[in-house]
Amino acid sequence: MRRTAPLVELGGPVLLLVAAGVVATLVSRSTQIYVLDAIVAAAMVAGIYVFIGNSGVLSFGQISFVAVGAFAAGVMTVPLALKGSILRDLFPILRDHELGNLQSLALAAAVGAVLAAVVGLPLMRLSGLAAGIATFAVLEITNNLLREWRAIGPGATTLSLVPQTTGPFQATAGAVLVVAVAYAYQRSRAGRMLRATREDAAAAQAAGIDVHRQRLWAFVLSGALCGFAGGLYVHMLGSISTGQVYLELTFLTLAMLVVGGLTSLWGAVVGALSVSALDSLLSEAERGLDVGVTLTLPTGTRLVVVGALMALVLVLRPSGLTGGRELRLRRVGA
Amino acid sequence: MSAAEPLLALRDLEIRYGTVAAVRGLSLEVRPGEIVGLIGPNGAGKTTTLHAVMGAVPHAGGEILLRGEPLRARSPEEVARAGVALVPEGRRVFPSFTVEENLRLGLAARRDGGTAAEALEEAYALFPMLGEFRRRPAGVLSGGQQQQLAIARGLVSAPALLLLDEPSLGLAPTVVDAVFGALADIRDRGVTVLLVEQRAQRTVAFADRTYVLANGELRATLGPADAAATDRLVAAYLA
Amino acid sequence: MTPLAVVDAQTLVDAVALGATYALMAVGIGLVFGVLRLVNFAYGQLVMAGAYTLAFTSHLHPAASIAACLAVVVALSTVLDLAVFRRLRSQSPAVMLVTTFALAFLLQSIALIVDVRDGTIGEPVRVLSGLNRAFTVGDLHVRQITLVTIALAAVTLALLALLLGRTTIGLHMRAAAADFRTARLLGVRSDRVIGFAVLLSAVIAVLVAVVLTVRRPLVTPAFGLGETIVVLVGVVVGGLDRLWTATLGAFAIGVATGVINGVLPTDKTVFLPSAVFALVILVLLLRPGGLFAPRGAASVERV
Repeated sequence: MRRTAPLVELGGPVLLLVAAGVVATLVSRSTQIYVLDAIVAAAMVAGIYVFIGNSGVLSFGQISFVAVGAFAAGVMTVPLALKGSILRDLFPILRDHELGNLQSLALAAAVGAVLAAVVGLPLMRLSGLAAGIATFAVLEITNNLLREWRAIGPGATTLSLVPQTTGPFQATAGAVLVVAVAYAYQRSRAGRMLRATREDAAAAQAAGIDVHRQRLWAFVLSGALCGFAGGLYVHMLGSISTGQVYLELTFLTLAMLVVGGLTSLWGAVVGALSVSALDSLLSEAERGLDVGVTLTLPTGTRLVVVGALMALVLVLRPSGLTGGRELRLRRVGA
Repeated sequence: MSAAEPLLALRDLEIRYGTVAAVRGLSLEVRPGEIVGLIGPNGAGKTTTLHAVMGAVPHAGGEILLRGEPLRARSPEEVARAGVALVPEGRRVFPSFTVEENLRLGLAARRDGGTAAEALEEAYALFPMLGEFRRRPAGVLSGGQQQQLAIARGLVSAPALLLLDEPSLGLAPTVVDAVFGALADIRDRGVTVLLVEQRAQRTVAFADRTYVLANGELRATLGPADAAATDRLVAAYLA
Repeated sequence: MTPLAVVDAQTLVDAVALGATYALMAVGIGLVFGVLRLVNFAYGQLVMAGAYTLAFTSHLHPAASIAACLAVVVALSTVLDLAVFRRLRSQSPAVMLVTTFALAFLLQSIALIVDVRDGTIGEPVRVLSGLNRAFTVGDLHVRQITLVTIALAAVTLALLALLLGRTTIGLHMRAAAADFRTARLLGVRSDRVIGFAVLLSAVIAVLVAVVLTVRRPLVTPAFGLGETIVVLVGVVVGGLDRLWTATLGAFAIGVATGVINGVLPTDKTVFLPSAVFALVILVLLLRPGGLFAPRGAASVERV
């Protein structure tokens, strides 16, 4: 029984993502974008989970890494011929080079990891709660620079003409990769040490675990995965603006993680897919949904419902839909 | 006095931490004006019992009766305001607050606000050292002085019942003498006391009656006459 | 010209007023944190709800408008306290923080639905708008609201210090903040101190709503959100554990924002948030325990 546990724990989320990927190939183009969005969201949430879920420390900064990943991958894949005219103010090295799809995803992961390492070094020395709040500083700096510094990106305008390479295959393969890395990490020695600090930081410290260092490792790995997910995201959308990778996405991804269950990878994937489905349904309803009669909800309802759901889960069932446990076929032993 | 109705009575008390039983079938009584001791090794359930009386730990079974009234689902502040004061293990004074502020916190449990100044003066009369240091932060006091402060803080609420949790813990022998001296003063004032202690012999000699607790169960009840033989008796009961 | 020479009295007065506003918000958040260990991210939405109330009652006498604002904000924070905060008491600080983050978005989205009924986003506030008049002292052009803000914050903080230091309820609140378990064992009534902290915090939110709407008269659903983020970061810089250093941290970040704004060349002021938050990260690198923590204090898990 024990030997099959990893197979189930990793296999469950992977199967779910593959199933979503298959669904994406079967539906109409207008529905497909919602399914792809859900799969990419699962990649983001799994990336965020690597830090929050394993460390128990809240972070509002992980979308920063999604943002830099998205803009890095986006800016570097806009065709050279068009770049000179739409992104004139870029640093020459960015303006005069173009990367392929996979290279750009690797770059997105690298950029996310580097930013996470730079800001994590000071922030991860703080106590858990303080570190969580301080990550807002990262989100604000990232958003401000991406929005205003035209040497590294499009500034306040939307970056468009990014090749749309994230179809059902790339979305699913990418999300599966993120989930597999996240799972490998949580099974590793470092991952187990960090989870020990989550249960009891003082006891873990007494047992010789360097809490701050373990948090930093997870923060950097999470930064890389979030950056990578950002790359998938921009290649799915074909365009991106800074507002799309800021507070609202931070809120939505945290809601997904919370609703699924903060402390398990299974929860991250289940939460991402189910909240995405709800969110898509509601945003359709805000535009007018045909259910016999045309149902039109006021703009903002989407976030009211997701926010209320998230608050309800936290008050009534803080361990989330999955109870914060990994998937099991049967209760093992007694 | 023995004919009086018990001030505090525990009947078949059961306390669990998860699946572990911390206290099993404990029954004991404290009558008005009595000093009652509760001794036993570490982990016997002594502190847990006091916390259950205070309503800080729920009990899974049995009854805790204060003046014959069951104390079920009462919050610690309600129990405190019903006239039970706890002097907690480790003293738990507020180190950054002044001595006087610590004492004023003890007044929180009093329903009659009017006698505050009087109550403080009484505390200073009982422990003159506290009066001297009334404006100093409690954190600068020595361990023994902090213990006196914690006892005084319990007394200013004019409790019907004072629960003391290991008041001599971690104190030098001469300071322990001072603490027991203060307890004698308190007894002379007619305050009813339930005293949890590790110092078995002293407690048995001092208290009207001493219960011996081990593994959450009552093993024996000793009287002052047993004091000289305490160690032997306790060892026998715990074996 | 050295950068310091650019920091004239004008910049400094405005910077102090910004710091004063942040300090008020920090105290409002800190009072509740003290008794509940809950960082209320939705505090900005209390301010926002107050600001909308001022907007919707702009036709009334200012006193009536502010009274309505008080009623709404107190009612809202009481509901949040009873329905959410107290149910979270056994949860970790991280869960409490993420819950209030959810509440913030919930309230903001409700505000959006209410606001756009007239087809536009944003509602104007005219209550006390006369305070925007400036007066001149030498080279200094100071809006009245700037001085009112500073004075209001100073008086509020002084009254609060008196309340916490000299009254019984203040003593009980401090005890609850220091060691809630022991405070309760001594008879300190938890519902009372929590209720009182929530009430004080709501009253302070009203003051912030009034001051902010005079300075920025168009209320939108995001009103107060940006401020909350800055204030929370400032509170961490000051040291989360102690009310006054936390408040000082928020004040410092406000003053720093104002001063950096004055120092930056005009074409670079768009980078103000980056400059301020980069400074924050630098400070935290040097003083992980908070700007005002004793030197060498370790950042152990205390909360």
